[in-house]
Amino acid sequence: MQENYLAKWLNNDLSEEELAAFKKSAEYASYEKLMQVSGTLEAPDFDIDKAWNEFKNNQPQKDVKVIKMNPMRRLWRIAAAIVVIFAASYFYISTLDESVSTQYAERNEVRLPDNSEIILNADSRITYSEKNWAKERNISLQGEAFFKVAKGQKFTVATNDGLVTVLGTQFNVENRTGFFEVTCYEGLVSVIFNGKETKLPAGNSFIAINGNVLNTESPAETTPSWMSNESTFNSIPLNYVLDEFERQYNIEVKTENVNLEQLFTGSFSNTNINLALQSISTPSQIKYELEGNNVLFYAENAP
Amino acid sequence: MDNVCEEEVFSNLFKTNSKTVFNYIYYKFGNEEKAYDVVQEAFVKLWENCAKVSPEKAKSYVYTIANNLYLNVIKAEKVRLKYADRTNNSSYESPEFLLEEKEFKEKLDNALNSLPENQRTTFLLNRIDGKKYAEIAEMEGVSVKAIEKRMHLALKALRDQIEGI
Repeated sequence: MQENYLAKWLNNDLSEEELAAFKKSAEYASYEKLMQVSGTLEAPDFDIDKAWNEFKNNQPQKDVKVIKMNPMRRLWRIAAAIVVIFAASYFYISTLDESVSTQYAERNEVRLPDNSEIILNADSRITYSEKNWAKERNISLQGEAFFKVAKGQKFTVATNDGLVTVLGTQFNVENRTGFFEVTCYEGLVSVIFNGKETKLPAGNSFIAINGNVLNTESPAETTPSWMSNESTFNSIPLNYVLDEFERQYNIEVKTENVNLEQLFTGSFSNTNINLALQSISTPSQIKYELEGNNVLFYAENAP
Repeated sequence: MDNVCEEEVFSNLFKTNSKTVFNYIYYKFGNEEKAYDVVQEAFVKLWENCAKVSPEKAKSYVYTIANNLYLNVIKAEKVRLKYADRTNNSSYESPEFLLEEKEFKEKLDNALNSLPENQRTTFLLNRIDGKKYAEIAEMEGVSVKAIEKRMHLALKALRDQIEGI
């Protein structure tokens, strides 16, 4: 009989001869009985579902633990979100128009992609699309600027009051409230004002005050006087002169009994305020008082 | 790939193995309450380490934990087992037979309790839970041959005790 034959017998692993021999043995009957009765044994009750529910109730932090196993996953999510935000902002910003502006008593020079130059006078702003510059040279302007346009396609300056179109030239555009002036220093400039086109050859100005087109005068210089730090006027109402004075010196102007309609011809310095005040007051026969950041112009014969 | 950390996988492991873990510990120590606690604690350990244990290893992992938990702590108590009443026609049996049967079961109970713990566990896992020797060997962490030896010795000891040899 082989080793552990009782275990083999219980497992039906005995050969036929061995089984026959075992059955003939004296102890077989008692083993048979033992197998039969032990086959009816039962373990104590165990409720699997109840145990499972108890297990689940004692593990309230299940989900937290699962996340803990993958701390990198959260980091990756944040990183991905940041990348998306940056990409979106970059795309958005790159489609926006470029914008350059100046404050009071400030000037700025802008070089465009085609090497055209723009010089911004005080309190002015230009907007253009750098992306589309090769396709169309469009600038929108508020305030005053001098343009040196490189030769090429049509170059357009849009203002609230009028449209200026050129091919390649040097010109100055000023557009303030109620005031629109274009001066051509080189080449030919086309000005569209109130739907009417005016061709402006070199040495000519186009001026419109409150919608009225004035006689064009020809400047003597090759660049606007403000670029050599002087503001020049030719029969311009005094209020526009004082506005320009405010812009150049970042100062607040008040007037008392002064006729703002009177025409002013002359210029004032953009660097020496006392000289400028005299340049304005003497020909206009008015007086001034300068106090810090305020200047008061008043009539000479005022009480 | 299946992961023990997934609730479905884990709940399956619990539902197919918890009863056997319970029985296993009960056969060893005869204490229902402790066996129940062992089931809970062993599966808590499995859950805590679910990322490190593959589904194939989960079963033997649970038995190893169960084994280690109370091995040196629990004082063995009497194992109390029930007998299924398989004979509906018990009334037709002679009183002598019934008495004999009752006496046999009492003797078997006593004999089981006097067996060494590892023989009793092996014997009952096979007879009650229908576990194959290979499965018991895996649970106990020993060879199949060692389980056959325990089974053989268990049968021999039980008969000797019942027959009063």
